[in-house]
Amino acid sequence: MASTVATAFAISAAPRRSVQAVNGFSSLKSVSISSQRRCFPSTRMQPSPMGFRVSCAAKKETVDKICRIVKKQLALSDDTVVAGHSKFSELGADSLDTVEIVMGLEEEFGICVEEQNAQNILTVQDAADLIEKLAQEKAL
Amino acid sequence: MLPLQSNLVARRLIASALPSLPPAPLPSRREVHLWYIVPNEIKDASLFQEYMEILSPCEKEHVLSMKGELHKKCALLSRVLVRTTLSRYTDCKISPRSFKFMKNRFGKPEIVWEHNKFGLLPSLQFNISHTSSLVACGITVDAPIGIDIEEKQRRPVTNILSLARRYFSPNEVQYLNSFVDPEIQKIEFLKLWTLKEAYVKALGKGFSGSPFKDFTIRFERSKDLLLTSEKSKIGELRIAIETVSDPESVATNWRFALVELHGSHFAAICIERDEEAPAIEQELLKLKVWKTLPFVEDECVSDTDAVTNICGLS
Repeated sequence: MASTVATAFAISAAPRRSVQAVNGFSSLKSVSISSQRRCFPSTRMQPSPMGFRVSCAAKKETVDKICRIVKKQLALSDDTVVAGHSKFSELGADSLDTVEIVMGLEEEFGICVEEQNAQNILTVQDAADLIEKLAQEKAL
Repeated sequence: MLPLQSNLVARRLIASALPSLPPAPLPSRREVHLWYIVPNEIKDASLFQEYMEILSPCEKEHVLSMKGELHKKCALLSRVLVRTTLSRYTDCKISPRSFKFMKNRFGKPEIVWEHNKFGLLPSLQFNISHTSSLVACGITVDAPIGIDIEEKQRRPVTNILSLARRYFSPNEVQYLNSFVDPEIQKIEFLKLWTLKEAYVKALGKGFSGSPFKDFTIRFERSKDLLLTSEKSKIGELRIAIETVSDPESVATNWRFALVELHGSHFAAICIERDEEAPAIEQELLKLKVWKTLPFVEDECVSDTDAVTNICGLS
């Protein structure tokens, strides 16, 4: 059944975009994230010329974590690509999935997402940005 | 010649051009019509190509943007179901392809009725909901409607009470807490979830416009003697809704029904009450249900075991 459906869509599907890395800093492994819940490295690291790169690397860790939570909640197959640009609606998340994902993120990152903010989250990257913002506000 | 009351109307797809749809008589003011498609029952892959042709360019793009064949299929069938169902109720004067839609400022989809050459058109209201295994569309005339469906065997909710404490009202948390068996608790949770979703969708103000926490859905036995069963003397089970801030104010302008659909799903329906109807008719919804494969086969399943009333139906 699945293969016949695949044929039907292969005929009319536009060429898929290749998955882009969210940012180019995946090689930065030296950032250690000690406590996920309370703080992010960007707020604790010594000021340095590398400061900007550090906060981007933290975002990639955040994005990866979110991708893992989303893949688990939606029971996606291993070959389904979930990255920063992925839209939740395109991954087949219904309203109950979205609520569970938000709760999973709240628990993982120790934050609280208000409903009006949750509505603005369309992509995984949006979620990462909101989480970073809330975590930084909390650390202040 | 098919008898008028025939439940089964079969059409075979013989040419590449889609045949016309059989027109459907309009629901009465207090009636809801529900149409659904079971995606897994579609064996003919070429049908999907035909279906794509009735979508708008924007809808096609959206379908193709979905990740995975299953999600593409369900997104496609959602649009097909809305367009073909609405077409039936215009006596097929408006073809499925011709409908235009917009979203109200809260994101609720609505029909754009353009200057029409066909005379007076019915004031159709619709709402759709789908899971990965069923796509449903509810139709009324005039009455704002919201529907929501969930698979009974949906993958387990991680922590029901945690979610309920976060999103539901205190009374609902207490209600769910009263169930010790986790399977039963999950079932009751899904019933409440679909009813709350259906209400919010009927209101059309979005998830944050009518926060789940602000209202309670309750199952209660009607004390109305007119609705008491003669045999058991137990009042009809019905669904009530009240605001958390003012529990005395039971919102009486919305009617709910909850049914089991196709043996696999809960379907919750919420419509705005018709103030002018006699009291007894206002209490319970009238529902007619069709299983469809648009352009191929329609089957009225209202009086079959494909539709089981849980509460709220007359």
